[in-house]
Amino acid sequence: MSGRYFREITVAAALGLLLLALLVFAPHFFQFQPLVTRLTSQMPALVAAIGITMVIITRQIDISVGAQFSLCAVVAGLAAAAGMPLPVAMLAAVAAGALMGAFNGVLVAYLGLPSIVVTLATMVTWQEVLRLWQQGRLLNLPGGVQWFGLGQSTGQATIIAVSLAMLAAAAWGMKHLAAGRFIYATGTDAEAARLAGIDPKRTTFGVFLAMGALAGVAAVLNLAQSPQVQPNSGDGLELKIIAAAVVGGVAISGGRGTLWGVLPGMLLLANVNPALTHFHQPPYWEKAIQGFVILLAVVADGWRNRNARL
Amino acid sequence: MPNATFKSLATRHESVLVLVIVFEVILFTMLGRNFLTGPNVSNIFRHSVEIGLLALVMTPVILTGGIDLSVGSMIGLCAVGFGMLVNDYGVPPGVAAIAAMMIGALGGSLNAALITRLKLPPLIVTLGTFSLFRGLAEALTKGAGSYSAFPESFLALGNSNVAGLPVQLWIFFAVAAGVWLLVHRTTFGRSCRAIGFSPDGAHYAGIPVARNTSMAYILAGAIAGLAAVILVARIGEARANAGIGYELLAITAVVLGGTSIFGGVGGVTGTLLGYVALAILNNGLSRIVAFDLFGQPVTSMARELSGMLTGLLLLLALAAGVFTKSLVTRRARRQTPATNPSPTPPS
Repeated sequence: MSGRYFREITVAAALGLLLLALLVFAPHFFQFQPLVTRLTSQMPALVAAIGITMVIITRQIDISVGAQFSLCAVVAGLAAAAGMPLPVAMLAAVAAGALMGAFNGVLVAYLGLPSIVVTLATMVTWQEVLRLWQQGRLLNLPGGVQWFGLGQSTGQATIIAVSLAMLAAAAWGMKHLAAGRFIYATGTDAEAARLAGIDPKRTTFGVFLAMGALAGVAAVLNLAQSPQVQPNSGDGLELKIIAAAVVGGVAISGGRGTLWGVLPGMLLLANVNPALTHFHQPPYWEKAIQGFVILLAVVADGWRNRNARL
Repeated sequence: MPNATFKSLATRHESVLVLVIVFEVILFTMLGRNFLTGPNVSNIFRHSVEIGLLALVMTPVILTGGIDLSVGSMIGLCAVGFGMLVNDYGVPPGVAAIAAMMIGALGGSLNAALITRLKLPPLIVTLGTFSLFRGLAEALTKGAGSYSAFPESFLALGNSNVAGLPVQLWIFFAVAAGVWLLVHRTTFGRSCRAIGFSPDGAHYAGIPVARNTSMAYILAGAIAGLAAVILVARIGEARANAGIGYELLAITAVVLGGTSIFGGVGGVTGTLLGYVALAILNNGLSRIVAFDLFGQPVTSMARELSGMLTGLLLLLALAAGVFTKSLVTRRARRQTPATNPSPTPPS
């Protein structure tokens, strides 16, 4: 029962069951083009989920991700609209994200402030800075930006490939690189990590920095899927990715979880809505079902902890 | 030593907040239009009393070292439940209001059970119920429906005055007095602090940790139900999206009021001041038309500006908290070298 990847396998199995049910009862769910489009639209959140997974494993939380994402998207959009070459606009978004992440990181790691309140405050601040700055304007992007100028099918393939490659690289790095082990060590016991010669402050700072930069990358991947930039494209993203991580088996108390669970966790939650549509059920149950799935995952964690103690 | 008393008074969180409030009032009276008038002062509180109520009951929750992110969604669920009972089942508003509070208490019990029985972190439990409650509210109204057939006598609760003050303000006073007594004059309040400092320590001291923690969450749910009824009475409509983002404002008021997010330290007086400071900031900015910012009159950006300043204020309050704490511990260490600074429990 308590195999090492038990949770990852359970979530993947749940996703498999859902897909199997769809295959039997609603095979048109698997029409190729809509399926690819839906998958592509989940990729930005997946990239952001890499960041939040690291943050949660360090025993922190970041709820400013959505606001960072929105702001990065507008930065990239404005840069592209001002005629800058696409790579420069993309870099600008990532840099803006890294800057906001570093701000969180300094406050949490070096001033010792609780991350939940710090990122609550920065979330509100960035959101309102963005509203003041853009006044809710919709930004039109120049022609070459959508699908990176590659056409839809190549663009979608690129986005999916880049995202999955980042996920695989991060998953590998967290298991095999020293920096990855530092993250687990800091989240398990910061003081023990310090005594073992790891700098937990620098690790925490680095994780928030990475989170911001990844929010920037996610914003770019999202930007490339549409001819316009919504001024609030990241609203609710933080909850979505935290939920994906938790369902995927990342322990909110830090130190435990892998990115291999986050991928099926994310896809499971993301497929609630299309599954409802394809089973001809009313779509307004989506959020309730998602909440229920999150609680189920949390309760499963609780039972595991309880059994581990006995 | 008068100097020492002055110093301790000046570094007290509440004193700083009073100064902030005084500064806000002076600023907005100078720059704003009709700021310090009876109707506007009534308005300040009429339009924010729901957040004040949530902040009050969030205080004991945070004192135990917990957090409740679900109260905003709870308002949505209770508002929809209330509207449904009155509109579809013809239940008198008074009875439905009690039912709404019971729905809230029930939701709070769900939080409490998961947190105390299964020993799960409050942050993630209430994040889950945050989605669940809002989702149920949306499901009950089939996504976009709303209830708006309420008797005039009920709507008066949200829009009329008693003895010169808005009706809901009197309710707020009653709840504030109750919560103050609970937190500062009962074993429940003492227990919450003890639990916030160290749940294990509290347990060994004979404090029923699970029972007291549960009470804090159930109280938060019940008062969220009350806030939902007041909100419906004010806007005349019960919708699934009622109260979105209120949990953040309530937490901001509590932390601004000097209650430590790690638990154990803080109180209701600070929360009240934090709430008043936020409410005045929000209203005052909408009264300013004197100058332009980014080529726009300030009035049209009041909402964004106040949101931004709220965030900055919260960061400042946090940083100030860390600064004074390091001052205090340094002083304590100088006086009694053996005293260790109290360890911070992990978040």
